[in-house]
Amino acid sequence: MDALVRALIPYVGRVCGAIALDRGDDAMQETFIAVLRNIRSLREPAALHGWVRRIAVREAIRAARGGREDPVDPDALVGLAMAPVDVATVVDVRSTLAGLAPEQRAILVLRDVDGLSEAEAARLLGVPEGTVKSRLHRARSAFTRRWEP
Amino acid sequence: MNGPGQQWPVASMGPMARARALGASIPSAAWTEGILDAPYGTAWPWIADLEVSVPRFDTQVRRIRVLERSDGGGVGPGADPGAEPGAEQLRITASTFGIAVPFDVRLEDGFCLMQARARIYLVLMAAEPHDGGARTRFLHLEAIPLPGTRFLRGHLQRVVDADFANLTRLAARGF
Repeated sequence: MDALVRALIPYVGRVCGAIALDRGDDAMQETFIAVLRNIRSLREPAALHGWVRRIAVREAIRAARGGREDPVDPDALVGLAMAPVDVATVVDVRSTLAGLAPEQRAILVLRDVDGLSEAEAARLLGVPEGTVKSRLHRARSAFTRRWEP
Repeated sequence: MNGPGQQWPVASMGPMARARALGASIPSAAWTEGILDAPYGTAWPWIADLEVSVPRFDTQVRRIRVLERSDGGGVGPGADPGAEPGAEQLRITASTFGIAVPFDVRLEDGFCLMQARARIYLVLMAAEPHDGGARTRFLHLEAIPLPGTRFLRGHLQRVVDADFANLTRLAARGF
């Protein structure tokens, strides 16, 4: 079990840190508790990575919300595209991420850290794919522009 | 990766959180954690010297013998190519009630996982600096990682509580 934890720490740390920010360490601990408690239910070893990803995203969003387990709001995901972007005031990534909803950070992490498609990320978050796909693409583009000259 | 990915915050998991996660996954696991009134720089090296420390505070262990130790550094002609820097692998025996039980040990800074051969018993110790290193946060866990052993948790809790009380007294006296 400890070997599994050590192998997964870098990946889970990236997911939990980017979504839960200051509560990332708590999210990481809760992720591993859930993973280790339920690992025997995982029938297919090849599915490990995706299974851990789902748990990490869920725990990170929950931690970022202060422990509340609200359903993901699709509007929170698309709202990113409407957010005003002021490049001159963006001084670091953490402060920029802190201005986003946890669900928004989650979708960006899944895209940029994991390389999931918008559709896959939306499915993982339980968001109707057809509703958000096109808007989410614009949302991510708007976010990415903050780091481009 | 383009954009913010390279700079995104990364969460970390210290020895205590790792120990709690492992403990939470074992039904029989009992653990206690608290503050030792000794600097981390003193406490952990003493605790990690298993031959000296464990018989002093563990009520069930009379003697520890280190049979084999790999430095884990992966350096030198005889080094294990699979070894990890900062982690030592030990083979020890822990003598309890006259019986020497073999354990495999993984020892890192602030983390010591001892697993009896055949996985019949598990001991975990974790520590982190507290108050800027002036004191030490410590966790002691014992478990029988076998099916159907949850009912032994109460007994194990009394064991780890007694061990922790002993260690607390030793720390207060400077070991």
